[in-house]
Amino acid sequence: MSLMLSQPKVDITTNVTAVASFDPPIVGPGEQTIYRVTFNALEETIDWPRKLNAPDELQMEPGAHGQIIPMLGPIQVPYTTFNTRVRASATGDFTVPEFKVQAYGHEVTVPSAQLKVVSTPPSTSPILHLAIEFAETNLFVGQPTRVRAILPGSAGVFSQGLPPVQFTGQGILVDQAASSQMVTVTSHDGMNMPTYTFQTVLTPLEAGNLSVFAQCFTGNRFAGSLVITGPAMIPAPPPPFTLLESSPVSLTVRPLPKEGELPGFTGGIGTFKLEPAKLGTNELVVGEPVKLAVSTFQYTLVPLTDEIHETPAIPFSYFDPVRGAYVDLTIPSVPVTVHAGEIPADFSTLVKTNGAFADENEPVLSGLAASPGWTGTLLPLQTSPLFPIVQLIPAGAFLGLWTWDRRRRYYEQHPDVLLRKRARRALHREWRAMRRAARDKDAARFAGSAVSAMRVACAPHYPAEPRALVGSDIVKVLGSNGQSDTVRRFFTVSDASHFAGTSTDTSGLLALQPELEKVLQQLESRL
Amino acid sequence: MKWFLLLLALCISGIGQSALRAGSPEELFRDGTAAFRVADYAGAIKAFRQSADIQPASGTLHDLGLAEWHRGHAGAAILSWEQSLWLEPFNTGTRGNLRYARKIAQLEAPELTWYEVVSTWLPANWWAWIAGISFWSAVAMVMLPGILRQPKAAWHQAVAALGLTVFLLSIPAHIGVHTRARIGFVQQKDTPLRLTPTKEAQSVTRLAAGEPARLERQRGNYLLVRTNRSEGWVERSQFALICRRQ
Repeated sequence: MSLMLSQPKVDITTNVTAVASFDPPIVGPGEQTIYRVTFNALEETIDWPRKLNAPDELQMEPGAHGQIIPMLGPIQVPYTTFNTRVRASATGDFTVPEFKVQAYGHEVTVPSAQLKVVSTPPSTSPILHLAIEFAETNLFVGQPTRVRAILPGSAGVFSQGLPPVQFTGQGILVDQAASSQMVTVTSHDGMNMPTYTFQTVLTPLEAGNLSVFAQCFTGNRFAGSLVITGPAMIPAPPPPFTLLESSPVSLTVRPLPKEGELPGFTGGIGTFKLEPAKLGTNELVVGEPVKLAVSTFQYTLVPLTDEIHETPAIPFSYFDPVRGAYVDLTIPSVPVTVHAGEIPADFSTLVKTNGAFADENEPVLSGLAASPGWTGTLLPLQTSPLFPIVQLIPAGAFLGLWTWDRRRRYYEQHPDVLLRKRARRALHREWRAMRRAARDKDAARFAGSAVSAMRVACAPHYPAEPRALVGSDIVKVLGSNGQSDTVRRFFTVSDASHFAGTSTDTSGLLALQPELEKVLQQLESRL
Repeated sequence: MKWFLLLLALCISGIGQSALRAGSPEELFRDGTAAFRVADYAGAIKAFRQSADIQPASGTLHDLGLAEWHRGHAGAAILSWEQSLWLEPFNTGTRGNLRYARKIAQLEAPELTWYEVVSTWLPANWWAWIAGISFWSAVAMVMLPGILRQPKAAWHQAVAALGLTVFLLSIPAHIGVHTRARIGFVQQKDTPLRLTPTKEAQSVTRLAAGEPARLERQRGNYLLVRTNRSEGWVERSQFALICRRQ
């Protein structure tokens, strides 16, 4: 972790800006120039458009692109460059207009860039123009060839992680292990200058015409002195690193001929020579290994019987691209004398593979499965969006049980709270029944519900069974400010209907509903 | 309303007919087996693949791998057998096929970390069930005696401890399943491993069909993969994960 923290940070917080220019800015008709756009952002975050909006006279073709993340002060700053190869069909001043691209999810404006196309352009300096040279361009598939990228000038080549110079093209394989680089002084147009050379081996893997170009990052390309004789506006400095690319080179690659292929051909292409095979000794003993050296190859032979008189011929052939034919280079037999001896246990496996015994542990292909077998999903359940939702079911159930248990324990410790709660619920029930009776003009039912409501509301204060309460109990709870007359009136009517069995005058009861509502509100507030 | 009912009936009959045409996974499995027995490997691949698409099953994928192998598609065969083992890791026949194919094609098996090896002991999705059941059992044993007004017995605590232990032990396997889900296999012969995610990019090396690699990230039509020896970009169509996204 400390190692990770000690690594310099990559700057991805600075506002992304883009710099666009033509290199060179003045060309002749039909000459190639590079339209180069550089961002201070990571390449993967930039949504570079497939097609650029440009004047019709400019023929544009995507070129190299890449990124470099150099250390600038305490942090690493990413620079990403997109090159576009441009050729103008006519003279004039052309402008690739300003456009917007997405970087880090935000819009970044790429400024406009001007190209001047004149009939007699100034001669360009060879300094910092990347060139590519192949030893051969007519190749066979699999035939390795040397390739050099040459960069005159002293700006140097920069890379991080990747090879300093990349060779880009479809159907090629670059041997990184065979690469080398050097700086030499060479003459260009009569000028001696340091020249960077990167050399490696490239192998075509597909037949056909393959296009290959080299690309690399170099330092700031400004060179020479600057003289300002009058007022001048100096534009912002160019990015410190420039992505150079060479002109593409076309390779003509032919497939290896099928006819004439010899035994022992394992893909060797080129020119091979075979020196005479050297055997460690010609006097052998059964079971004792002996070395057979041929050029840089070395074979270990173990005689398994004393009946042999020469080493076996080892077939080897290669394809000679110059002659266009396969060449047999079989390693010839060497006469030996084998004395009797015992085969050591170490070589018993060799004997087995020679077919003397079958290896029981040798893997074999199984038969068909008789049934579809175990079913399931190839997507891990854990990554399914349903998985956390399913886990919420037991979590919710346990949370509900826990909450219920907590409430139950609380009510057990505070039974009066439960009584009041139940009384409030019963009061609301009776209250609603009372209002329904009032709407139906059923005075008897209205009186009964009113009395029940008052009883259930007062019961927790004693505590007592609601039906055991009488009017005076209610009045006592209401206190001196209560509507005692109203309460008594209702109890009188209710008692009479229950106990006397005579009809009572209930005509004025419904008119007392407002007073009764106040009584019930007072009782509810005391619960 | 009539028109709506008529439309509904047509839709239902259409769905029913298409279901009948597609056939059930078992029927397709039988069709594939029959085709395989008469050496119609292309037909067998089609039937087994349809069956596995409807309902992935270890036997179907095993047989699909065999058919692919006989057609010379080493990458697809190895992928199918790995998928079969993902569902049923106890199948010795499938394991033997993988060893055989890798020996013949001179391919390596994926290099697994210790927690990935642990995750291969059981079918990948069993770990999710084991973790869920063990965790909630432990929670239940802690909570329920109190809620049910029962004295906490020794066995309650033993079950809770066992559940918690199983849950904790299953965590490395979960991580293993998660990381193994990013293992895939090269599907095409001589797949170029590119330096950058573009068609014209420089090839670092060529990968054989069936070579294992781990998916690091994706960009457009390219996947950044890490093999046992190198790292680079391959085309999306040339690489397939064991855990295909359904």
